[in-house]
Amino acid sequence: MTSTVRSPGLAESINTTLADLLEQDPRLLLLGEDIGRLGGVFRVTRGLQERFGRDRVRDSLLAESTIVGQAVGMAMSGLVPVCEIQFDGFTYPAVNQLVTQAARIGGRWNGQVSPSLVVRIPTGGGFRGVEHHSESNEALFARAPGISVACPSTGEDADQILRHAVTLGSPVVMYEPIRLYWRRNTPVRDPEPARSPTSARIVRRGSDLTIATFGAVTHEVLEAAHALGPTVDVEVVDLRWVAPLDMDTVLESVARTGRLLIVHEGSKDVGIGAEIAASVAEHGFDALRGPVRRLAPDRRAYPPADFEKDYLIGVQEIKDEVLVMTK
Amino acid sequence: MLVARGIDEEARQLQKQGALDLWLSCQGQEAAQVGSALAVGPQPTVFPSYREHAVALLRGVAPDELVAQWAGRTFCGWDPRRLRFFPYTLVLAAQTLHGVGYSLGQRLQGREDFVVVYVGDGATSEGDMSEAMNLAAVESASVLFVCQNNGWAISKPADEQMRTSVAERAQGFGIEAVQVSGQDPEAVFSACARAAAHVRGVRAPYLVEIEVGRIHGHSTSDAQEVYRSRDDIARTRAADPVTAYADRLAGLGLVDTAWLDAVGAEVRELRERLMKEYA
Repeated sequence: MTSTVRSPGLAESINTTLADLLEQDPRLLLLGEDIGRLGGVFRVTRGLQERFGRDRVRDSLLAESTIVGQAVGMAMSGLVPVCEIQFDGFTYPAVNQLVTQAARIGGRWNGQVSPSLVVRIPTGGGFRGVEHHSESNEALFARAPGISVACPSTGEDADQILRHAVTLGSPVVMYEPIRLYWRRNTPVRDPEPARSPTSARIVRRGSDLTIATFGAVTHEVLEAAHALGPTVDVEVVDLRWVAPLDMDTVLESVARTGRLLIVHEGSKDVGIGAEIAASVAEHGFDALRGPVRRLAPDRRAYPPADFEKDYLIGVQEIKDEVLVMTK
Repeated sequence: MLVARGIDEEARQLQKQGALDLWLSCQGQEAAQVGSALAVGPQPTVFPSYREHAVALLRGVAPDELVAQWAGRTFCGWDPRRLRFFPYTLVLAAQTLHGVGYSLGQRLQGREDFVVVYVGDGATSEGDMSEAMNLAAVESASVLFVCQNNGWAISKPADEQMRTSVAERAQGFGIEAVQVSGQDPEAVFSACARAAAHVRGVRAPYLVEIEVGRIHGHSTSDAQEVYRSRDDIARTRAADPVTAYADRLAGLGLVDTAWLDAVGAEVRELRERLMKEYA
């Protein structure tokens, strides 16, 4: 039943987009650990330093606060820095510069500076990573006013998001699922484009239940939805951005289906799902035929690789949850 | 220095009256600030911390613009771009990395890349300061770090904050550095002029550590009498660089009573205007 499509991996797609952006805008530069000579630990920036030179594809010092802090200064000088943090678990030393500085510079300058500054962060598990290499900390930044947070699940979406982010005039953190970097076969999705670069995308039309999701797990959700096809007709909303959230698309979908399940890989407590559930309770309660539910890991640290299958949300769990909700 | 002292004193009064929410006095640091700002001239972009009021005034920030953020009206009361005096940064040392990044960005675009970063002794304990010094050294950025060491990080004395001078620490990063007394604006001017020549000529960073006295508490909410000896505070007041320099110039016959009276009148006028707008 599940049909798949073949596409370039996420790493290759983002590489193509970054090359094109560097080609088009002389103010744009890349900044990150090992992104130049090596082409990044995931090879997302492979070949870009050879092509655009060391000034524009910069091997940064091994210090995350330095990466984002100097990027803030570069943005003040009129450049458009696109930073790479090596793994999500190493984001934390840069949080101060992102939350207290990058996010607030525009306001502090009374709008005189509009820093277009992008921070790309490889994220998520499912590839047997060691400690700190498999985390999902997008909800942390979603709470910080002034920072937009994108979580694309395809190269096409990452392309649209990046092109928008470098013109936004305020910082964007983009999470790139590591397990999608090299994955070429993914479940088929509706070709319908998003309404705007910042809106969610309905990637499967359905009538019985809405699943709102984002990032790598979107593919498990689609696989589950396709497999359930004969019995339950599931609509899948790929949020693409978790801050700001496109609640209009979610509410319109829930108005059609009457049921909402939220699935994400970051832990459940005080997570993105809680915000969506609260918003639907406030603005879409009358459309609901049953309680909103969330499917996400419990509040605990990402486990050693041998146990990650127990942590991650799989296709079977999604199917089971949908069947319980539509029984 | 006299103007900065007058504005600072007026801001302290306004805070006592409830017109300002907080004021971070720069009294005792005027020679360091005026000497360094005059030495680098109007061209470099300044990344201040939050106590560089004398530098701000020299750069053309009007007194009412200077106190606006302390009255809760805005996060920055002046035009940072036009004055090349960037907004105060209250998260300690965060601006040090911005300054280095800005200088690198300017250089990449073929524009003036001389940047002056002000930082206090307490803030040098922050990781960002070490990261900024290392980055500036590695990239050979045209950044002059001016560290005003007033001996106190609120209540923690500098000798409990660090085992070497800030200048020695900078040298460890491969940055040329010098330590100078902030008592005499002319000595500060000379040291900073040499430092600026180095930054311009070699296109490499430099750090000047200026030892200053902190006449008042860290802020108007601080009670330094709780942790600082009466003698120490009295000694700092007695060594006030503003009165010392005015007395010296008068003693040398370089300024006369008429000149000092004229400055006094100007300061009174500025203070009155500030009081009218905020009190």
